[in-house]
Amino acid sequence: MIVIGESIHVISPRVKAALEGRDSKTLQNLAVSQVENGADVLDLNIGPQRREGHQIMPWLVDAIQDVVDVPLCLDTTNAAAMEAGLKRCKRPPIINSTDATETRMSTMMPLAARYNASLIALALGSTGLPNTAEARLEIVMASILPAAEQYGLSTENLYLDPLVLTVNGMQDQVVQAIMAVDYFKQVAVPSPKTTCGISNVSNSIPAENRPLLNQVFIAMMLGAGLASGIMNALDKDLIWVIRTVESRDTSTPRGRLYVALADAVAAGEEFQVEPSMLENPETWDIAKTINILYNRQIYAHSYLSL
Amino acid sequence: MPAILVPTEKWAGKVREVTLGGDSRKKVVVGGETTLPFLHFDGVIPHAPAIAIDVEDVAPQNWSPVLGAVWGDVMREGLAAWARKAVEAGADMVALTLRSADPDMGNTGPAEAVEAVKKVLAAVDVPLIVYGPGIAAKDNEVLVAVSDAFAGKRLALGLCEDKNYRTIVATCMANGHIVIANSPIDINLAKQLNILITDMDMPGDRILMDPTTGALGYGLEYTYSVMERLRVAALLGDSMTAMPMILNPGREGWRFKEAKTRDGVPTQWGDLEGRGIAWETTTAIAQLQAGADILVMRHPKAVGLVKRAIASLMATNY
Repeated sequence: MIVIGESIHVISPRVKAALEGRDSKTLQNLAVSQVENGADVLDLNIGPQRREGHQIMPWLVDAIQDVVDVPLCLDTTNAAAMEAGLKRCKRPPIINSTDATETRMSTMMPLAARYNASLIALALGSTGLPNTAEARLEIVMASILPAAEQYGLSTENLYLDPLVLTVNGMQDQVVQAIMAVDYFKQVAVPSPKTTCGISNVSNSIPAENRPLLNQVFIAMMLGAGLASGIMNALDKDLIWVIRTVESRDTSTPRGRLYVALADAVAAGEEFQVEPSMLENPETWDIAKTINILYNRQIYAHSYLSL
Repeated sequence: MPAILVPTEKWAGKVREVTLGGDSRKKVVVGGETTLPFLHFDGVIPHAPAIAIDVEDVAPQNWSPVLGAVWGDVMREGLAAWARKAVEAGADMVALTLRSADPDMGNTGPAEAVEAVKKVLAAVDVPLIVYGPGIAAKDNEVLVAVSDAFAGKRLALGLCEDKNYRTIVATCMANGHIVIANSPIDINLAKQLNILITDMDMPGDRILMDPTTGALGYGLEYTYSVMERLRVAALLGDSMTAMPMILNPGREGWRFKEAKTRDGVPTQWGDLEGRGIAWETTTAIAQLQAGADILVMRHPKAVGLVKRAIASLMATNY
């Protein structure tokens, strides 16, 4: 799985201040630590930045490329900022993102084609949140793929994003997003790539609960064959889950459970949590989280204490 | 003719039973279901849903004129008369709101709160629900006083929300009362609040869940879908969603223009009285079907209609 590090994001007060103050050192440090921890690509989210985006994005791209040699994923709705950033990228970049509306696709798809960039396309149209895997597939088939063809964007350069919603309130949607990834791989030849916001699954959840939910979720997404994920690359345990599942390292109880979980998803089966997994002090927390992500138990912030 | 085999569902879980009142007074038990509402062929529904009727310790300023016409005389006469008339109208319980403790409605304190509860307990022998004015700090002040003064009476006290649950839960635990746990039409927060309350060692059978009422036209479908999901989870064995549910179709059903406005509305809306009663009744019946165990209501005619519905739905040979 390609790890796209999400930590350079304007939502972080530290990043916001650094962008405003053109403090390249802080941002470069964040870039270096993510890459050292295992990020293959860095997402650069500057927000819309209506006034200065076209200056901030190229400045940021230059600053990051001064310290790391990885592809960049440029993340802004501001088309001028996007284009200014794309011009500076040394490696083929990723555009993050378009949804499935004509307005956004007609802006971002020509940019991607012109600059040989890949494009993340969200399975989100103008008619509200899709609530099944099939609805997500329908958006891809009816809107995203035809538009990509129209704008000359090869499907290999598409990263289809199933739109991950938080388990806190949209609990039934977790499995739908996972199933959608499996569908997306089959919509074209050659296959489009897939990606998603891993941390979205734990949005609006207290910080201490988030890592485990993200970790179990990524194991399931690995099983579904997700090609890349936008995630907290500074979370060493999350990177460990990826490495463990990918190398099929079953030498630890946690590793065995994560590999078994990913295998079940890959086989299109619903993973069953055994009582022994809930009793084992090494795996009980993963087992409870699996039941939450499968929507077998209603999520509550204190679910681990039950 | 071959017998028709009705397909049945066997649930693993059971809604907890909660007993209100007792201690030389009438008691009412709610909950205990092992199936979805009124599916008697699937499981057991040991107790019919109960109706409470709203009374307030000061005459309400903004109630619908339709309610004013019914309750106006006892509002003037006093709390004891109001409570008695509520029981005559068919209330299984009385729900007293300590409105005068609201800083805008008199800002009364613990002594007046205790006095009001005493009047109602003396006037009627049905179980009593006591609501604070709905402002967390004042709720804590008056409900703690009431809880202490009437220890052992198994009153239901509320609202207990995530902001102030510790105080209300602690006092209910100490004095043997029931806590009404309120969450804002959110299944995850409803469960979380029950976890927090039981983590304080409050027994699960002393918690009523109030998932927040949206009236017909004002969020009813959000309320009942959350209620249905809570109830299905409970029946699947989730003990932290297995508390009986209490709803307020009276308060919410009479809040909006459909139940308040006589003039300047389309003639097709019909007369205000029938419309208001229908609004409360429809809201209540939908909640009944979604798993309500206690309905707090206002208009005697709506109460009559809902009680008739409960009686038919509880008849196992319908």
